Amino acid sequence: MKNRKETTLRQGNLSRRNFLGGAAGAAAFMIVPRHVLGGAGYTSPSEKLNIAGVGIGGKGAADVRNVNSENIVALCDVDEDYAAKTFKLYPRAKKYTDFRRMLERQKDIDAVMVATPDHTHAVIAMAAMEMGKHVFVQKPLTHNIYEAWQLTEAARKYKVATQMGNQGHAAEGIRMICEWVWDGAIGSVREVHVWTDRPGGRWAQGVDRPKDTPPVPSALDWDIWVGPAPKRPYHPAYVPFKWRGWWDFGTGALGDMGCHIIDVPFWSLKLGRPISVEAETTRVNSETYPVASVVRYEFAVRGDMPAVEMTWYDGGMLPSRPEELEEGRQMGNKSGGVLLVGDKGKILSGHNGESPRLIPESKMEAYERPAETIPRSIGHYKEWIEACKGGKAACSNFDYAGPLTETVLLGNLAIRAGKKLYWDRLNMKVTNMPEANEYISRQYRQGWSL
Amino acid sequence: MANKNNINRRQFMGGVAGAAAAFTIVPRHVLGGAGYTPPSEKLNIAGVGIGGMGKNNLKKCEGENIVALCDVDEEYAGKIFDLYPGAKKYTDYRKMLKKQKDIEAVIIATPDHTHAVIAMTAMKMGKHVYVQKPMTRTVYEARKLTEAARKYKVATQMGNQGHSDDGMRMVTEWLDDGAIGPVREVHCWTNRPLWPQGIGRPKDTPPVPPTLDWELWIGPMPERPYHPAYAPWVWRGWWDFGCGALGDMGCHIMDIPFYALKLKYPSSVEASCPTVYLEKGKVKETAAETAPVASIVRYKFPARGKMPAVNLTWYDGCLMPPRPEELEEGRRLPKSGTIFIGDKGKLMCETYGGSPRLIPETKMQAYKRPPERIPRIDVSHEEDWVRACKGGKAACSNFEYAGPLTETVVMGNLAIRAGEKLYWDGPNMTVTNVPAANEYVRPGYRQGWSL
Repeated sequence: MKNRKETTLRQGNLSRRNFLGGAAGAAAFMIVPRHVLGGAGYTSPSEKLNIAGVGIGGKGAADVRNVNSENIVALCDVDEDYAAKTFKLYPRAKKYTDFRRMLERQKDIDAVMVATPDHTHAVIAMAAMEMGKHVFVQKPLTHNIYEAWQLTEAARKYKVATQMGNQGHAAEGIRMICEWVWDGAIGSVREVHVWTDRPGGRWAQGVDRPKDTPPVPSALDWDIWVGPAPKRPYHPAYVPFKWRGWWDFGTGALGDMGCHIIDVPFWSLKLGRPISVEAETTRVNSETYPVASVVRYEFAVRGDMPAVEMTWYDGGMLPSRPEELEEGRQMGNKSGGVLLVGDKGKILSGHNGESPRLIPESKMEAYERPAETIPRSIGHYKEWIEACKGGKAACSNFDYAGPLTETVLLGNLAIRAGKKLYWDRLNMKVTNMPEANEYISRQYRQGWSL
Repeated sequence: MANKNNINRRQFMGGVAGAAAAFTIVPRHVLGGAGYTPPSEKLNIAGVGIGGMGKNNLKKCEGENIVALCDVDEEYAGKIFDLYPGAKKYTDYRKMLKKQKDIEAVIIATPDHTHAVIAMTAMKMGKHVYVQKPMTRTVYEARKLTEAARKYKVATQMGNQGHSDDGMRMVTEWLDDGAIGPVREVHCWTNRPLWPQGIGRPKDTPPVPPTLDWELWIGPMPERPYHPAYAPWVWRGWWDFGCGALGDMGCHIMDIPFYALKLKYPSSVEASCPTVYLEKGKVKETAAETAPVASIVRYKFPARGKMPAVNLTWYDGCLMPPRPEELEEGRRLPKSGTIFIGDKGKLMCETYGGSPRLIPETKMQAYKRPPERIPRIDVSHEEDWVRACKGGKAACSNFEYAGPLTETVVMGNLAIRAGEKLYWDGPNMTVTNVPAANEYVRPGYRQGWSL
């Protein structure tokens, strides 16, 4: 908060930060074009947001491209090679290696997009929010459950606009599913199946730590890349991209895809946090996530919605093919799917709610769809930009994305614990296995804190 | 062969496997004429594949005459050959069966891919057979052996030795007693494989050890270069030779629900498994060469009489069923076992039907067990078979039972390999919805081999 004062505009005596921000949770208000505020001799500033991107070599490149109608004023990446293409695309953006330095030096940043490996989401997003900057954070929101809580609370406290990068949340499919479920199309839902084909061959899981220690590439700042995680020697098995499979850096297939796929039941069934989680997997080691897993969640009764059992499958594992699905029809899409099992029918969709259908198709054809009750999105990125500019909160802001991420990451906690865990949702605690609680948060390396 | 007496010992002793009534065994000396040295009442047994499980089976039959031993791996089998100096040694079972006429019964404990050809050859010659589990590598072979056992009227037994234990009988009696009501859902699991699965075919071609007849080891399967990744013992993971964790343990673990719930052919089978494997720490796409590192296989069985349809789910490679709520905190699920879910309760047991319990334990304590109804086997699984060979009643896991059990178990592998849910016409041995899957029902043999 103390930093917010430093962002005060030099002219006009009005803090651009205070003006633009602070609306995420609050009611939307009209945006006054900035030139209205200009006094004599005042060059009308752009109405555009000043955005910084952190982690821009992978998904971050796409994130920045999706908001390039705004001002991309700063780009930060620890890997000069991997990020080179994106740096080139925005010659006017200042380049940084260290996000801390960027935030400290460059005062015109209004909003930060974080698309680094999972283990650094929280520290970067928190640093930005504490300075009053809006944040867009790739999914999963954080690397561990404690961080998800902290970011969720910080977003509220600092009143900044937030959005997690589960872009399917802005799509049509998930809205249709919500409306159909709420319309009673399949009756009460007590059973859900969610699955993904990942990791597949995309990145390694089930492997041990490499023993060789090749030199750190000159283009990479390995120390910052490791960030708050325990120090270890560089290896190309981690960076770029392949960090997903490592406990210290990524969140496995579940973390990668869960925030897309579990998003569908999470919203449509208003699940909230689970009461228990249990995981069965191929062999677990302390270095990487298992090759394949099946994770079972239990959710309590919500209002007039009954308790739900949700099962997650990854690495090639699949739920039983529903009898209602006609021979030859694909179950879900290539990346996975969602199956909601109701008392009176079933809804099947692609991995993020894409192409939802009542099954069998004859039921779909016969179904009279309800009127649209959920406003359609202007786009996942646009929503966030509008929220940053004082519009209404983005649909997957941290109040929603925090508990979703926590739910997803509880699966990893259960994988690590090797035991069915009962979850105290109010106190963020495992009640039946005290030693599992050590994995809710992590000890940061010296020099790092949230 | 008591040829002096004009009575064919084979005809006398055999032919009762399928028949129900036991009859008194006439000691052979009664049959001896003048100058006749009373032959032993002992069975003349040959062992084929004796380096691994075969040695345990032979050990249980030591009261009989072990007259012949056959193994393609002199090194692996060496110690066992030494244990039975009176037995003639062979490398090729065909030669053994052709040459040595006094063999009455054969114990087969070779890798899965040669069970069928050996057992069939023996049965065609009227010899009794004890075949390790799984009885065969494929559905077709299991069906054919089952039919042959009937046709040649020989005594048979599959080596699922838990079938001779009391546990399975207790489970059955309790379920029949209605202890947990009608059962519609069953979960079976194992922590295996303990051998490599989900691996690629080795590229190097080390020389064949001089003590191994690789050509015979390969038997009916397509030729491939020798590699220690296959023999001895580690063949289980390879589709050409073994049946994976499911084939290894399914005949033990699924045996319990199969018997207790009177299951036969499933109506559908579907499977899912990891899509990659690890090789030297690197992730590779799953090859079609081996069973996967883990799998979940879902079987549906139709209603049987008053018993409702059953969904049976198999888990291996450390995958497990959901922990039953009835299981008290701190109580672990066994590493391998079965949970029966009935309308009125749950019953859990370990492999071989061991330690059956209603859960929670309070239910077990309160349960008044029904009286024993199913006869117990008072001897070992092997001796149960020896008894049948000598004219006693059919062994408990004879092929009439073990054939359909094996077919069901290996159907899971069919579903794993097909990658689709398969609808199964059991009596006609046909996958009805995925014609291509039928090629796994009856894969062809290499030239020179037939069933």
